[in-house]
Amino acid sequence: MKRQRISALLILAVMVCLTACGGGGSQKHTTLSVMGRKSDMEKSYMTALFGHYESTTGNKLNLIKIEDADFETEAAKRFAAGNVPDVFLHFHNADLNRFDVAGNFCYLNDEAWADDLTDSARAYCEDRDGNLLGLPFWENSVSGCYYNKTILDSLGIKPATTQAEFDVLCQVLSEAGYTPICWPADGCTWMYQFGLDPVFADDPELLEKLNRNEISYSGIPQVESMAEWIGSAADKGWFGPDYLRTGWSDISLDLGSGDAVMTFIWDTWFYTDFEQGQKYGIDDFAVMPVFMNTAEEGTYEGGNLNMMMINKNGQQLEAAKEFLAFCASPENYNVAFDGISTESCFKGQTTNIQSEMVTDAQASIAEKERVSTAASRIVGYSADDVAAAYNSLLRGKTDAAGCVKMMDDARQEEAKKYGAEGF
Amino acid sequence: MKKLKKWLPAFLLGIIGIAAVLIGVVYFEFISRRIYEDSTGHLEEIYGQVNRSFRAFIDRNWGILNGWGDSFSLTPDEDNTEVAELIREEKDYWGFSEFYFLSAEKQSITLDGAGGSLKLEDSWDSLMKDREPVMAGEKLASGQEVTVFAVPVQHGHYNEFGFDAIAISYTNADLARSLNVEAFSGNAKCFVIHSDGRVLLSTWTGGSVFSNYLVYLQAASDLSDTEAARIRSDWESGVSGLLRCKIGGVDNCILYQPVGYQDYILLSAVPLNVVSAGFLAVQKTTVNVLAVVFLLLAVAAAAFVIWRGYNQSRKSRTELQYRELMFDVLSSSVDDIFIMLDGTNQAVDYISPNIERLLGIPVEEARSDIRVMEKCAVNFDVVIPKQEIEAIPIGGNRYRECEYMHQTTGERRWYRMTVYHQSIQNVVKYIIVLSDRTQEQQMNQKLQEALTAARSANEAKSNFLSNMSHDIRTPMNAIVGFSVLLEKDADHADKVREYTRKIMASSHHLLSLINDVLDMSKIESGKTSLNVDRFSLPELLEELNIILMPQAKAKKQDFVFRVQGTPPEQLIGDKLRLNQILINLLSNAVKYTPDGGNIEFTVTELPQAQPAGQYVKLRFEVKDNGIGMSEEFQKNVFAPFSREISSVTNKIQGTGLGMAITKNLVDLMGGIIHVESAPGKGSTFTVELSFALPEQGDIQSQEKMSADPNARAGGAAEAQTASVMEGKLFLVAEDNELNAEILTEMLDIEGARCELAENGQEAVEMFEKSAPGYYDMILMDVQMPVMNGYEATRRIRAGSHPEAKTIPIVAMTANTFAEDVRDALAAGMDGHLGKPIDMNAVREMVGRLLNRTKDKSEREE
Repeated sequence: MKRQRISALLILAVMVCLTACGGGGSQKHTTLSVMGRKSDMEKSYMTALFGHYESTTGNKLNLIKIEDADFETEAAKRFAAGNVPDVFLHFHNADLNRFDVAGNFCYLNDEAWADDLTDSARAYCEDRDGNLLGLPFWENSVSGCYYNKTILDSLGIKPATTQAEFDVLCQVLSEAGYTPICWPADGCTWMYQFGLDPVFADDPELLEKLNRNEISYSGIPQVESMAEWIGSAADKGWFGPDYLRTGWSDISLDLGSGDAVMTFIWDTWFYTDFEQGQKYGIDDFAVMPVFMNTAEEGTYEGGNLNMMMINKNGQQLEAAKEFLAFCASPENYNVAFDGISTESCFKGQTTNIQSEMVTDAQASIAEKERVSTAASRIVGYSADDVAAAYNSLLRGKTDAAGCVKMMDDARQEEAKKYGAEGF
Repeated sequence: MKKLKKWLPAFLLGIIGIAAVLIGVVYFEFISRRIYEDSTGHLEEIYGQVNRSFRAFIDRNWGILNGWGDSFSLTPDEDNTEVAELIREEKDYWGFSEFYFLSAEKQSITLDGAGGSLKLEDSWDSLMKDREPVMAGEKLASGQEVTVFAVPVQHGHYNEFGFDAIAISYTNADLARSLNVEAFSGNAKCFVIHSDGRVLLSTWTGGSVFSNYLVYLQAASDLSDTEAARIRSDWESGVSGLLRCKIGGVDNCILYQPVGYQDYILLSAVPLNVVSAGFLAVQKTTVNVLAVVFLLLAVAAAAFVIWRGYNQSRKSRTELQYRELMFDVLSSSVDDIFIMLDGTNQAVDYISPNIERLLGIPVEEARSDIRVMEKCAVNFDVVIPKQEIEAIPIGGNRYRECEYMHQTTGERRWYRMTVYHQSIQNVVKYIIVLSDRTQEQQMNQKLQEALTAARSANEAKSNFLSNMSHDIRTPMNAIVGFSVLLEKDADHADKVREYTRKIMASSHHLLSLINDVLDMSKIESGKTSLNVDRFSLPELLEELNIILMPQAKAKKQDFVFRVQGTPPEQLIGDKLRLNQILINLLSNAVKYTPDGGNIEFTVTELPQAQPAGQYVKLRFEVKDNGIGMSEEFQKNVFAPFSREISSVTNKIQGTGLGMAITKNLVDLMGGIIHVESAPGKGSTFTVELSFALPEQGDIQSQEKMSADPNARAGGAAEAQTASVMEGKLFLVAEDNELNAEILTEMLDIEGARCELAENGQEAVEMFEKSAPGYYDMILMDVQMPVMNGYEATRRIRAGSHPEAKTIPIVAMTANTFAEDVRDALAAGMDGHLGKPIDMNAVREMVGRLLNRTKDKSEREE
C-alpha cells in the first residue's frame, strides 16, 4: 500500500515537472553547482545522469570536479570561504564531519523518493538521529568473503556458515597449500570495518554509548576478539607469507592465480579491478559472509554510497531539491545505471546488472547483511587509523589489547578534533 | 704394516660407530613400528567402541520410530493429539530436533503440521519401496544441517496428511557432540561418510565444511592414486582399514570402519603424534636416554682420543724439544751448521743456533728468511736454485763448496753445503748440512804457502849459491891471480906492494863476505839470540865515532853526530847487535856517499807509551846525500844479496847482505826500520828501538848524555897510537902452525915478541910458570886440542899466579859470532879478535887493554 502511494507521488511529481517544462517556453533555466571528487563525478553512470538531466530539463550543471588527492582539503577550504555548492557529493564517512553537515545541508526525510530507497541504502545515508542526509546515487556493492568455489570444490569442501567452519576452512586450505585469505596489509583499510559492522548494527545501544563516549572499544569484547582472531590468523599463516608486503594491486593477481582462495571485498570490484584472463575468472568465485570472530554467522556489508546533499542555505534550494527528485526518478536512474553491475540503491532499479555471485548468495545476504556502520556511524572512526593499529598488531609491535587501545586513542582524538559531544 | 697398526684404532672406532648407528636405526625403527602398531590398535579400539555406540544410537532411533509407528491412527479423522503430545515429550527426552511424517509422494510435515522439505538424499526408494529404515543427511531451508532417521510404517494419516513413514532428525551439531571422542584431546576428527566420500556429519567443530572427504584426501594429502583407489574400493565393499598419510605436512592416521547400515562409514582422522603421544613420550625418553648414553660414550671416547692425542702430541713435542735442544747443544760445540727446510716453500723448520757464532747471523733472522745467509756468502748463491733442489731425488743429496765471511768479524770460513732431500710420510723436507772445512782449507793454504815458500827457498838457495859463487869467486880470482903475479914479479918491489895491496883488499872483502854470510845464516836459522845487558849509550856512540870517523875523514865527508833530547845514558839491551846495526847503516852511508858528502847521525828520544821510567824509545837516523836508491830497489833493499846495479855501485864492494842482516836484527829487537831515498839525493835510514831502563837504584849516578858526544868520542880517538905493541911479549896459544907462524911474523913486524903454546893446557902451564910481568898479554885460540881456550882462560883466572886476574887475555879465533864473543868474555877473557887477523884490530885491542891495565895499576898505586 505504502509502495503504491510512493509510486503515485513520483508520477505526480514527474508530471508536474513535465508540465512545467512543456508549458514553459518562457521557463527560466537554472544552473546548479555540483561539487565532488573528480573521479566520482566522472563515473559513467554519473556522467550519464548529468547529461540526461541537462538534456531533459534544459537546466545547466556547473560541475566542480576537485582532484581526488586534494578533495577533502580543497572542498573544506571552499566551504570555509562560503563557497558551498548547491549539490555536494560525499560518502557518509568520518571526513563528512569537516563540512558541518547540520549547518549546511538539508535533511531529506520528507522527500517523496525517500521511500524508494532500499533499506540498506537509506540506512547508510541516515545520520545517527535517523535524518536522511542525501540521495544515494552510487554502486551499491555487497561486501563479503569472496571465495574461489572451484578450488573449494576440488578440495571437497564447502563454504563456511559459521565462524568455526570458517576457521576449519582456513586451516584446511592452509594444509592443502593455499593462502586461505588474501589480506594485503598495505592500503586495504576497509576490511576492518566489516568485522565491526555486526557489533554495532546488531546492538544500536552499544553504538550510542560508544558515540557518547560512555564506553570505549576496550569495553566491547567483540572488538578485542576480532583483533585476537586477526592476529591469530596471521600467525597461523592464513594470510600467506607476504601479506605485510602486498597491497591493493596484489589482490587481483593472488586471487586470479589461485595462490589465495578468499578475500574480503565487494562484488563490483570483480568488474572494475579484477584482471581478466587469469587462471581463475569471475565465474570461479562466489561469496559467503565475512567471518572476523565478531558474529558467529558472519556478516555482509551493504554498499558504501556516495550521497548527493543539497545546500540548505543556497539560493537555489528548490531547484536543487528538484534535481534530486529528477535523479531519484526510476526512469532517470534506470537510464543512468543501465548495464551497470551493481546492487540496487532504489527499489525500482531494474536496468542494472546483479552479479551472479550476489544472486547465488541472495538468501544468505538477505539474512546476514548489515549496513556499513562502522565508517558512517562511529564518531571519530577513521579507516586509516584502524588500519594503522592493526598494522602494529600484525607487525608484532603490539598485542590485541594494544591494538584496540590504539584504535580507541585515534578515535578519541578524531572526535575531539571535530568537537563531538561527550569527547 | 705400520700404517695398518696406526689406523686400526680409528678403523675399529668407525666400525663401532657405524654399528651403533645401525643398531640405533634398527632399534628406532622397531620401536616406531611397535608404537605405530600399538597406537593404531588403540585407535581402532576406541573408534570400534564409537562405532558400536553409533550403531546402538541408530538402532535406538529406529526402535523408537518403530514403536511410535504402531501408535498413530490409520484414519484421517482420528484424533492424534495425544500421540503428538507424547512425541513432543519424547523429543525433549531423546533430544531430537524434529519429528516428521513422510508420504510416499516425498512430502513431509512436522508434528506441528508445517510442510517439510525432506529429500533424504537418495534414500526415498529404500524407505518407501524397500520398506527399510534409513538414515540420511539433510540441509534444511534454514541452512541447518541435520541427520534424519526414518522408518516405514503402515499408511496412516496425521491431521489429514497421509503418511507411509515417520522420521526424527538431529542437528548434526548435536549428533557430533554425541560422537565426539575425548581420548585424543579434541584433536581427533570423526566423520560419518558415504562410501563415495560424501560427508554426512562431522564431530569436528566446523568440520561440516567438508563435503567429500575422499576428494579432500586426494587433493590435500600425499595419498597416491593407488591408495585412493584402494580406499574407495574398501569403502564400497564395506571393509575396514587403516592408512597413514601426510596432510599439510603432518602425519595422520585415517581409520575407517563400516557403520553396518546402508553405505555409511565411520571415519576418524587423528594426527599420528596425537595417537602415539603417550608412546612417543616413552620413545622420546628412550631415545633421549640412549642418545645421552651414546653422547656420553662418544664424549668419553672423544675425550680419551683427545687426551691420548694430546699426550702423544705432548710427548712428541717434548721429544722434539729435547732433540732440538740436543741438536742445539751439539751444534754449539761443533762448527757445522744444520738447517731443515720445508719441502713446499723452503721455510726454515730448524736451524742450529751456532750460525750466529760462526757466521754472525742472528738465529731468528735466519729462521725467518734463510736468504739472509746470502749476505755473508763470498763466492756462491747460498740458496741452491729451486729447480736444482727439486731435481734431487728422494733420499739423494747434492753438495757444493762454499765460502762465508762472518758478518761482524769478517772472518772467512769454508763449508761444504750438502742438501739431503728426504720424505717421511709424504712430508718433504730438505736437510742442509754445512760441514766446516775451515781448518782443512787453512791447512791446504798453509801447505800451499809452504810449498810456495819451499820453492822460493829453493830458488833463494839457488840464487844464494849463484850469488855466493860469484861473490866468492870474484875476490878469490883477484887473490889467486895477484898471487901468481906476485910470484912472477917478486923482484919488482913496486909491483909486489901493488899486488899485495890488491890481494889484501880482496881478502878483506872475502872475509867480510864470509862473516856476513855466516851471520845472516845464523840469524835466519833462528840461532841468533840477543845478549841483553846494561850498556852505556855514550860509550856505544863513542865507539862508533872511533870506527867510522876515520873512514869519513878519508873521504873528506862531513860526518855529524847529533843527540836530540836527553836520552838516558844507561840502557839495557844488546849493545853488540845495536852496534852492528848502526855500523852497517853508517858504513853504508860512508860507502855510498861520494867524497865531500854529508852524513848525519841523529839519536832522538821518542815519547814512550810504555810505563815511564821503565823503557825508553830511541830513534837512530842515518842521513846522507849520497847516491840514493831507486824506488824499485827500495822495495828489496832489505832482501839478501840485493844491490842496485849502477855505474857507481859497481865500483863499490859489498856483499849485499848488510841491510838484510840489519833488518833481521832490528826485527829481532822488536824495532822498526824504514828508508826514504831518491836516486842522486841520498838516503835516510831510520831505526826505532825500545830499551829497558835499569832499576832506579842502579842508575842513581846515571847522567844524561851530553848533547855533543863528538867531544868525548874525539878524545878517545886521540888515545890510539901506532907503537903500542912495540917491545911487548905475548903468550900465544895456537895449535895451527901456519896461523902461529903468521901471527909470530905479524907481531914481529909490530916490534913485539911471542911465545907459543900448542894448546890451552900448555898455555896455562906456561903462564903459571912465568914470573909476574913476564907476559904483557895472552892471545888465546879457542878451538884447540887438549884444552880449549875458554877452559884455559878459566884455569888461568882461577890460578895462583899474581897476575891471574889481571893479565889481559884476548880470544883470537875463527869463531866470530856474537855468541862466541859473549862466551869468550864469560870465560874471563877481556876481548875477542876474529880470524883472519886484522892487525889494525889487534893494535887497537892491545892498546885499549894495556892502557886499561896501566890505568888500573896507576889507581892501585
